[in-house]
Amino acid sequence: MRKWLRLGACLIATSFAFMAEDRSQAQEPIRIGVLLPLTGPFAKNGIENWEAMQIARDMINERGGINGRKIEYVNGDATSPAAAISETERLITKDGVKITTGSFASPLAIAVSQAAERQGVFHWETTGAAEIITRRGFKYTFQVGAPARRYGQVAVDFIIEDLSKRLNKSVNDLRIALLWENRAFGKSVGDGIRAYTGQKNIKPVYDEGYDQFSTDMTPIVQKLKDVKPDILIAISFPNDAILFQRKAKELDFNVAAFIGVSAGYSSPDLRNSIGSMVNGIFVADFPPKVNPDVLNPEIRKVADEFYKRYEAKMKRPPAGHAAAGFSAIWALFTDVLPKAKTFEPDELRDIALKLDLPEGSLVNGSGIKFTNFDWPDDPKDAGQNLRASIGVWQWTPEANEQVFPAKLATHAPAMVPLPDWSKR
Amino acid sequence: MTTLGQLVLSGIFIGGIYALMSMGLTLIFGVLRIVNFAHGEFLMLAMYGAWAITKMLGLNPYFAALAIVPAMFLFGAVVHQVIVRPALDKPHLVGVFATMGLSILMQNAALMVMTADLWDVPPIFGRSVEVGPFYFKAELLLGFAVTILCSLFLQWLIRSTYLGKAIRATVQDGEAAMLMGIPVPRIFLITFASGSALVGLSACMMMPLFSVFPTVGLNFVLIAFVIVVLGGMGSIEGALIGGMCLGVVQSVSSYYVAPAYGQMFYFVLFLLVMIFRPNGLLGQKGAATIGIND
Repeated sequence: MRKWLRLGACLIATSFAFMAEDRSQAQEPIRIGVLLPLTGPFAKNGIENWEAMQIARDMINERGGINGRKIEYVNGDATSPAAAISETERLITKDGVKITTGSFASPLAIAVSQAAERQGVFHWETTGAAEIITRRGFKYTFQVGAPARRYGQVAVDFIIEDLSKRLNKSVNDLRIALLWENRAFGKSVGDGIRAYTGQKNIKPVYDEGYDQFSTDMTPIVQKLKDVKPDILIAISFPNDAILFQRKAKELDFNVAAFIGVSAGYSSPDLRNSIGSMVNGIFVADFPPKVNPDVLNPEIRKVADEFYKRYEAKMKRPPAGHAAAGFSAIWALFTDVLPKAKTFEPDELRDIALKLDLPEGSLVNGSGIKFTNFDWPDDPKDAGQNLRASIGVWQWTPEANEQVFPAKLATHAPAMVPLPDWSKR
Repeated sequence: MTTLGQLVLSGIFIGGIYALMSMGLTLIFGVLRIVNFAHGEFLMLAMYGAWAITKMLGLNPYFAALAIVPAMFLFGAVVHQVIVRPALDKPHLVGVFATMGLSILMQNAALMVMTADLWDVPPIFGRSVEVGPFYFKAELLLGFAVTILCSLFLQWLIRSTYLGKAIRATVQDGEAAMLMGIPVPRIFLITFASGSALVGLSACMMMPLFSVFPTVGLNFVLIAFVIVVLGGMGSIEGALIGGMCLGVVQSVSSYYVAPAYGQMFYFVLFLLVMIFRPNGLLGQKGAATIGIND
């Protein structure tokens, strides 16, 4: 009898011990390393992403966290690719994070994912775009945003399916010019557009790269003026986009439609800097806000709350990359982490690869289905989301409106052809 | 031909703006023989100042110069007393690190206070000036005119005033100048502060043309260094000619070769000048050690 009692006591004690351990584990937060440029030249967008990510963290924690565990961020300041590597390594080796996320710009994403992969850590890339990110045979890098080539493709699709009709010209009669900044993002997008227009038998009349730190845009604008394109597709960062628009006005360079691709043309700064000159410019990018009808009902509520909180905090609606940052991290919180038990990278990888979310599952209209060396377009690709939404929106006098593709659109394209500078 | 004309003229005008920005650097280098690595950040600070005055008081950025130039003179004087003067009689590297440190400090302080946002002033003149087939931004022409006036004024100051004479004497032989009763430390102070004031003036001229953000100085400081060496270290008219050469080379090569190579071509020009005229276009022999031209 005594023996049984002792055994019972032991069992109870052990189960208490287990419960205690269980509870302590239940309360221990899930730590995620967030690598974003919070200082330096990319800080502007980095900070916007950081705000969006903090809103996501607060929202999930207010909902009780993930299986009772709260989310905790550990920050790394990824100012440059070199800093991104050392900060990622610091978060992994010193702070012991098992999951990293970020990192806004492609060169940073390349660096962060490389450091994470080397340390065997799961990296959930929110907005990086360069193709190479998912083409290095990495196991643990997952890119939720669209690959760079899609940005350009959607711009070309927009020309073919929409602008050519509005301008009453066949696609082959349209003179299309392509201007790209010659670093990772601009080049990658430019390459994508060139390949895609090639497939569609469109030959750009102008195709040149330039240095984004250039202080004088005269030669570029003058050359474009001589080439006389109907449509210009430009890939720029904020400062060079501003310089370009001002120079275009100065030299009276006019086009029937101007399509900026992400980055500088999607930056909310652009309106502050060039005022009404911004109206009419199209932007191929992550959608800042999509037609709510495409979202599933549950995510529509999340989207409403996110936009409300972001606008309250930042006094303006989020840009596309901030909405994309939120969308991606929210998917991590609601579709990946709740299914994890060990949080080891192999387990997270399996969960990510099994995801099959239809479009409209994320706040910005995206779905999720990752490549795993099985994509007919490019069998070298692993971890790229094939259902990331991308579209074209337009700067209008009041706001930004999604104009393409039709199902995401909140508005029809306006100001086509774009009035000359003298009439703007 | 119209195209070439537009490129050359635009290059000359933008080069004038670069030259104005480089004059402060060349003046400081010529007299103190210290390279101010924080030059770009001085420009950034002054641009923020011009922006703030324009924004808050609703003034034209050119009027802001009335406040910014003296303010930058004072700022330069303080930086000289606190950071530059202690480094002057130390090995050369001390000055390099001191000004480099100041540059990083100022950049990050700007980032904390002003965030990474880009700020602009609204355009002053709505339309471009059309001269025949050429188009120019009126702000650019005005900036160029100020550069020319400023370089004439500096020439006069250095050649025809007592202060100029004292500066030249200090440059030729500091110790002898001191024995002749010239207050050399004060000359250094005035020169450094004036160089900073010149940056203030150029910032007010540049504000209607460029956005300001914490790292804006980095976009211009390399150009300023190239101009100073190209024109001849310490030479004001050299800076003017160097600036215009650089502007034209950048503009023409970007058009006819490729925009991505504009910078490469002005460095080619830079190397050629270094090989064939190691003292710069207008620099005197041994300019790097002798300093300002007399």
